[in-house]
Amino acid sequence: MDSVFLSAQPLGDWEFVWQQRQFFVEGTRIAVELTFYSIVLGFILGLPAGVVEAYGGPYSKGVVRPVGVAIRGTPILVIIAITYFAFGVSPAFLAATLALGVRSAAYQSQIFRGAIESVEGGQMEAARAVGLSKLDAIRHVVLPQALRRSVPGFQNEFTIVLKDTSIAYAIGVAELLKRSYDLFSLQTSAALEVFLAASLIYFVLTFSVNRGIEVLNDRVAIPGGNY
Amino acid sequence: MTRSTKRAVRDGALAVFWLWFGARLLNDWFGGVFVAAGEPFFDPQPVADASTALREAVAGTGVLGEPVGWVANGLGSLSFAMTYLPDLAAGAWLTVVLTIFATIFGLVLAVPLAAARVYGRVTHWVALAFIELIRGTPLLAQLFVLYYALPLSRWFAAVPYLGSGIVPEQAVWVAVVGFTINSAAYQAEYIRGSIEGIDPGQLVAARSIGLSRVQGIRYVVMPQALRFAIPSWTNELVYLTKYSSLAAFITVGELFHAARAAAYANYRFLDLFLLAAVVYLALVLSATTVMEWVRGRVAIPGVGGSGDGRMSAD
Amino acid sequence: MAENRLLDVVDVHQSYGEERVLEGISFEMDRQDVKVLVGPSGSGKSTMLRCINRLTDIDEGEIALDGESIYDMNQNDLRRQVGMVFQDFNLFAHLTALENVTLGLKRVRDMSEPDAVEKAARQLESVGLREQANSYPAELSGGQKQRVGIARALAMDPKLMLFDEPTSALDPELIGEVLEVMRDLAEEGMTMLVVTHEMGFARQAATDVLFLEDGELVEQGPPDQLFEAPEQDRTRDFLGRLTSLHGDQ
Ligand SMILES: Nc1ncnc2c1ncn2[C@@H]1O[C@H](COP(=O)(O)OP(=O)(O)OP(=O)(O)O)[C@@H](O)[C@H]1O
Ligand SMILES: [Mg+2]
Repeated sequence: MDSVFLSAQPLGDWEFVWQQRQFFVEGTRIAVELTFYSIVLGFILGLPAGVVEAYGGPYSKGVVRPVGVAIRGTPILVIIAITYFAFGVSPAFLAATLALGVRSAAYQSQIFRGAIESVEGGQMEAARAVGLSKLDAIRHVVLPQALRRSVPGFQNEFTIVLKDTSIAYAIGVAELLKRSYDLFSLQTSAALEVFLAASLIYFVLTFSVNRGIEVLNDRVAIPGGNY
Repeated sequence: MTRSTKRAVRDGALAVFWLWFGARLLNDWFGGVFVAAGEPFFDPQPVADASTALREAVAGTGVLGEPVGWVANGLGSLSFAMTYLPDLAAGAWLTVVLTIFATIFGLVLAVPLAAARVYGRVTHWVALAFIELIRGTPLLAQLFVLYYALPLSRWFAAVPYLGSGIVPEQAVWVAVVGFTINSAAYQAEYIRGSIEGIDPGQLVAARSIGLSRVQGIRYVVMPQALRFAIPSWTNELVYLTKYSSLAAFITVGELFHAARAAAYANYRFLDLFLLAAVVYLALVLSATTVMEWVRGRVAIPGVGGSGDGRMSAD
Repeated sequence: MAENRLLDVVDVHQSYGEERVLEGISFEMDRQDVKVLVGPSGSGKSTMLRCINRLTDIDEGEIALDGESIYDMNQNDLRRQVGMVFQDFNLFAHLTALENVTLGLKRVRDMSEPDAVEKAARQLESVGLREQANSYPAELSGGQKQRVGIARALAMDPKLMLFDEPTSALDPELIGEVLEVMRDLAEEGMTMLVVTHEMGFARQAATDVLFLEDGELVEQGPPDQLFEAPEQDRTRDFLGRLTSLHGDQ
């Protein structure tokens, strides 16, 4: 890392980007980690929230829904800032993970709720008619189908979280955009090259994730069709 | 609460918000119509005093004093909000400006982009590349490219009247350009989706009565497609309202920027960011409410339906 | 006599909110009875069936299975003892035919995997679907789907089977295979309450036909009596129209 600050002689701007490639690689790694942990946290919180929104009673829904609406109505930047500056969560990476994860949970809950509601009522009824308890019916009949149907929704969700890791820049997490910004301040003439290089990496990442999810979607499909 | 009472509560709260917001902006733009520019409409000091007095009165009364303590805290928050809302109002105004300009300019670009994506040959690939590149990269990176790497702000600096009176300064316009480009890509995708949802027979029928292809798209397909896209626009407005906060990083003094500046002055981060969140929420709810109304106004029986935005706010 | 009684339905009233659906229904079923429930659309036939396994709750009256009020029984236990076959099959879309049958065996009857698989395989064979055990619902024809639905319910060893228009969603050429399974079942002595408009099945297999209209039981009796010499004009009108629509099979 320190090598950055030692390079004295002026370089061509693309040459500069290439020379600092290790810096981009590190930033990419952090962006990917941040995305991964946030999505996982979002899943852990978002799945139960989605089930509650689909099946909950007036009280549990009365708590989960407004919290979700408030989180979805608040900019991720504000959520990150509250987590880091106001709640003092530290290190910044953890704060960013929590903020992105909780926000992702609020959106994942909607993916799951929608997927659950798209499973025909007859499935629940048939499961109950065999004698399964409501919880068992949800677990063994509704959720396995709903989870499959929620896979396409994750294309969007992954893309959003991945891109929004760049906003962790605000609290100094050394992810891709923050590092690009540091490089830019080192050699301001390379602004275009540095930010385009970072954008290109983000693009490759989102593109790969989207293709990956399409493959996953085909893999988990029920023979004869999901619907 | 029933659906209609919920709606009434929401509409009432939004009405209060916009009354305050409108009065605030008028007051500050025209040099203090009601009170001095930037000063609270009502003096928060008595409220703060009342809060302190209450707290002192029940100090040491233990559990019994708890409820009174809550009231005291509530009053404390109220006086805090009264003190700092004027600061946030100016920021919220820029948030609104960014959102509305970007949505409208974005739409103007999005319609031809979507048409090219669906009906074009060479232009299909150009539109596709643009849309996918923009949607695949972070908005903040796009803003940095525009602000730091391109001479946009220098060009805007040369435009007369920018930054004087109520005309926002150049960084705001750089942000408008950024959000417009970004929004155009997303809106083009929504419109494409709606176009593809329309029965191809519609265009065939248009051609059969002698309209040209372009006319058929313009007069038959688009009017239906744009209606189908309304739910997506609701989400687009919501999205832009929230993501306009990123303009803070290219020095635009919008809502988040204003809250952060105030917080650095008094270190009450939680209070100020929560206050900002409440204002964002009010703006987001306004957007969904207005779009609900628009949807009702332009509805045609049998034409419409639900689309998806980049994320649904509710 | 008493120990031969399986189901008592006594003065059952049911409503969905303001809408009153069942207005005082009473009938009983002995073991091995096969009763066919007919009536115009919206008359409350499905609702009557759903009340018996408590997919719907009643407002007034009493339903007893084997002399015990169904409201004194554990809900899941009741449903295990009462099998149900749906008009639109409701097969679990993510499970193979075999897994559709084993799910209840494993989760409700706590059978081990090998036992459940063995029993399910036998059950599928009894409805003529040995070959299709590993097919997913979307890969089956309508008639095959419905036979899986029947096997799924039978696997729980129910005392009573409820059928809600089991052939209404089927193409005409597929109806026969399902009715055949049902006729076999009736011959084996299963107690069955069947909503159907297949008058041929009613004539051949039913011990009684019940005519329901506007939430009331208008008339009931053996098929010959009801078809040839109904007491009520309403019954005659309805059955006349039904026979001209569906023919006699
Ligand atoms: N879940 C429900 N909520 C409200 N009303 C219902 C519900 N299910 C049925 N109903 C109403 O109850 C009445 C009886 O319905 P039911 O399904 O029992 O009739 P049916 O005799 O089975 O008719 P069909 O021959 O069309 O299946 C109808 O008027 C119907 O609209
Ligand atoms: Mg029915």
